[in-house]
Amino acid sequence: MQRTKQTGINEKIMQTIFFLSALISVAAVIAICLFLFVKGMPAIAEIGFMDFIFNEKWTPTNTPASYGILSMIVGSIYVTGGAIIIGVPIGLMCAIFLAEFCPGKIYMIVKPAVNLLGGIPSIIYGFFGMEVIVPIVRENMGGNGYSIMSASIILGIMILPTIISISESSVRAVPESYAEGSYGIGATKEETVFRVIVPAAKSGILTSIILGIGRAAGETMAVVMVAGNAVMPVDKINLLKPIRTLTANIVTEMSYASGLHESALISTGVVLFVFIIILNISLSLMKSKAQRN
Amino acid sequence: MKKNKALSIIALSLALIFAGCVQSKPSGEQKAEFNLGKDITVIARDAASGTRGAFHEIMGILVKEKDAEADKLVVGALEFDGTDKVITAVEGDKYGIGYISMGSVSDRIKAVSVNGIEPDVENVRSGNYSVSRPFILVTKGSESELIKDFLKFAESTQGQDITDEMKFIGASDLSEDYASSGMSGTIKVAGSTSVTPLMEKLQEAYRDLNPDVTFEMQSNGSSQGIKAALEGSYDIGMSSRELKEEEASQLNSYILAIDGIAVIVNKENPKSDLASEDITKIYTGEITKWSEIK
Amino acid sequence: MYTNINNLKQRKVKSILLKSFIWFCGILTVGILIYILLFILLRGIPKINLEFLFGEYNSETLSAFSSIVATIQMILLSLTVSVPIGVFCAIYLAEYAKRGNRAVKVIRLAIDTLAGIPSIVYGLFGMIFFVNILGFRASVLSGICTISIMILPVIISSSEEAIKSVPDTYREGSLGLGATRLRTVFRIVLPTATPGILAGIILAIGRIVGETAALIFTGGTNVLKNPTFNLLSSQRTLAIHMYMLAGEGLPHSRDMAFATGAILILIVFSVNYAATKLAGRIGRLR
Repeated sequence: MQRTKQTGINEKIMQTIFFLSALISVAAVIAICLFLFVKGMPAIAEIGFMDFIFNEKWTPTNTPASYGILSMIVGSIYVTGGAIIIGVPIGLMCAIFLAEFCPGKIYMIVKPAVNLLGGIPSIIYGFFGMEVIVPIVRENMGGNGYSIMSASIILGIMILPTIISISESSVRAVPESYAEGSYGIGATKEETVFRVIVPAAKSGILTSIILGIGRAAGETMAVVMVAGNAVMPVDKINLLKPIRTLTANIVTEMSYASGLHESALISTGVVLFVFIIILNISLSLMKSKAQRN
Repeated sequence: MKKNKALSIIALSLALIFAGCVQSKPSGEQKAEFNLGKDITVIARDAASGTRGAFHEIMGILVKEKDAEADKLVVGALEFDGTDKVITAVEGDKYGIGYISMGSVSDRIKAVSVNGIEPDVENVRSGNYSVSRPFILVTKGSESELIKDFLKFAESTQGQDITDEMKFIGASDLSEDYASSGMSGTIKVAGSTSVTPLMEKLQEAYRDLNPDVTFEMQSNGSSQGIKAALEGSYDIGMSSRELKEEEASQLNSYILAIDGIAVIVNKENPKSDLASEDITKIYTGEITKWSEIK
Repeated sequence: MYTNINNLKQRKVKSILLKSFIWFCGILTVGILIYILLFILLRGIPKINLEFLFGEYNSETLSAFSSIVATIQMILLSLTVSVPIGVFCAIYLAEYAKRGNRAVKVIRLAIDTLAGIPSIVYGLFGMIFFVNILGFRASVLSGICTISIMILPVIISSSEEAIKSVPDTYREGSLGLGATRLRTVFRIVLPTATPGILAGIILAIGRIVGETAALIFTGGTNVLKNPTFNLLSSQRTLAIHMYMLAGEGLPHSRDMAFATGAILILIVFSVNYAATKLAGRIGRLR
């Protein structure tokens, strides 16, 4: 095969094309940051940063209007926290189940089931939540069902696939020698799993939790149909009372917002965006720390 | 191996029983007594909704003081962005109360009479049932032939027949028949979700007579419809509330129909009539339990 | 110490309790899935009829036809944009990038960031950039542009993994025969990695089909009577159709919402099945 100058040039051209394709991701992130900030800035400038973040009064349609998102920030935190409390224990146990205790035939049923759970669109979760979870919470726990509790349950279910798949890989990745050592001193299987294997898989499990947090915090449709969308003053927030999250706020009001109102909603999106970036950075920091070990 | 199989079968059956139990429980619980001492679940529409705008203004939940305007909806009221979501919420919650377009009332919930007046077409037409609002179509500036033609259709006897069929009250002065002249083009419409069902039927009928016309419609709330018409991004805006002064001064408006707003409660709620002051108090939070209503 | 009989009994009991709880969680997860699927399918499938699938949209039929077509358009066209870019990016990362290179770190960070951005934020960006600034207005086109960016990370990571799993021996053999790097990539590596890349594409399809928040402000909620190929018109996708039906007040909207949900689930089912089959093919490669 003869190498010609043309081949060399082709190589260089394609290499550049590949590199440029990779840069498109960077360009996309920069564009998203840029436009969100630019469109959201007017709101922050006029409302004032402190007033925007720490004021719990969100009344854009009153005259005079008030644009404080504190209630929504707290709402998102509660709902995400609730999702973690419900989703992580079950998800982690299920991951351990898949990695350590599950017989092969059953694995072929459960693993695809988990993948399928992860593929279900969020409006179906929302619809399911509205028709099934809300009545259950209403009958068995009180309140009217549209509440932080219902949102946490639905979100907890939604993050199960994330937690399960990543935790399962981490648990499987723990070297056999660890387990063998534990059996060697007479521990039972369960003791080995919980005292040796799981701690060894800690960083992967933590990764899955952080990704789960990101997913729960960013979820919109499911929460909108289940949480009642009431803007609650911070001191009245209650597990069985309705709540509005940052995401629900954007989706509910964007369709008719204009001017400052629209800007304020975009800024709400910016707040979400910044939160995700912070999560991502913690994730990379954790990963590099794990690599160093 | 056998032990594992047995274990998994037991676990699976437990899960299914659990699922079965949980699913039947909601329907079983409905037979319990209606406890008047329970809190009222207040259900409202989202802030884009013309239905909300109209209802809150008529019932005095929206309070105007000099230059300031404040919506005094009680803290913790649920807000939904669609008629069906309100119906679902009231249908599922014995202690719920909500408001929807009268044309959407079905046997899933119960519409109460207000101050003794039943919410039906006759009472709205005569004005006895005061909780009503106009369906308004707005356009800006001079309209194209196509739009003028469509509006003529909406106000014609055929259009008003459709309006009556859907349990709205036709408000047009015109009593002419409409004759098609084979129009063509696209009409872009945006606005109220309450007006949308009527608009859809009118569009369908209009298209039957003028097959070369297409419609594009976004249902995103009265305020958005008005805004779209003001900006010119859409040809016709739909509103289910009165226009504000600044809006009315810039737009041409056509009253399509009058729609009553029905106050709905769960079918198991013993109340079938509510005084309008009580409704206002419920929505502003002065009354919190069903027992507080005389 | 561990030969103490009482202690042994305690540990055994604990172990059995833990084991049952673990099994319970496994069964619970599957049980939840089955419950959700049955809930939607049992009430949705009976309501699916030909009118609903292929008929004209009006307030009687609430047909999903135009929504289905719009969804297909969105899938095909956004893949057309994202797959080449994504695969090329994956080739760069897997074949040409030097470890620890500053640029590579930035690129990976960007990809991870894109992967984590909530869909509502994509929707906001799409609204600002494609709908308003570029003037596409609420349209299928705006939706396609937004979705293309959204699925980029999915395509990139699965393609990269697929490419990386091609054994080095294949590459070495090719280079040993005198082929250039470029030829090796296109003639040997890519074809071998295709099942994995396809699996990633299929996962992206699943994501697109289920997407709502990103498309409400970009593709819009409008529903046309009949499907159109005019990308500048606004037409809702299947998932948004379900969301709208779940909120409308017409008597049979709720039934048709279940029907739409059933269709969505059947699509996701097939997507997952195909992806699993393909992923199995990569497994065999290792």
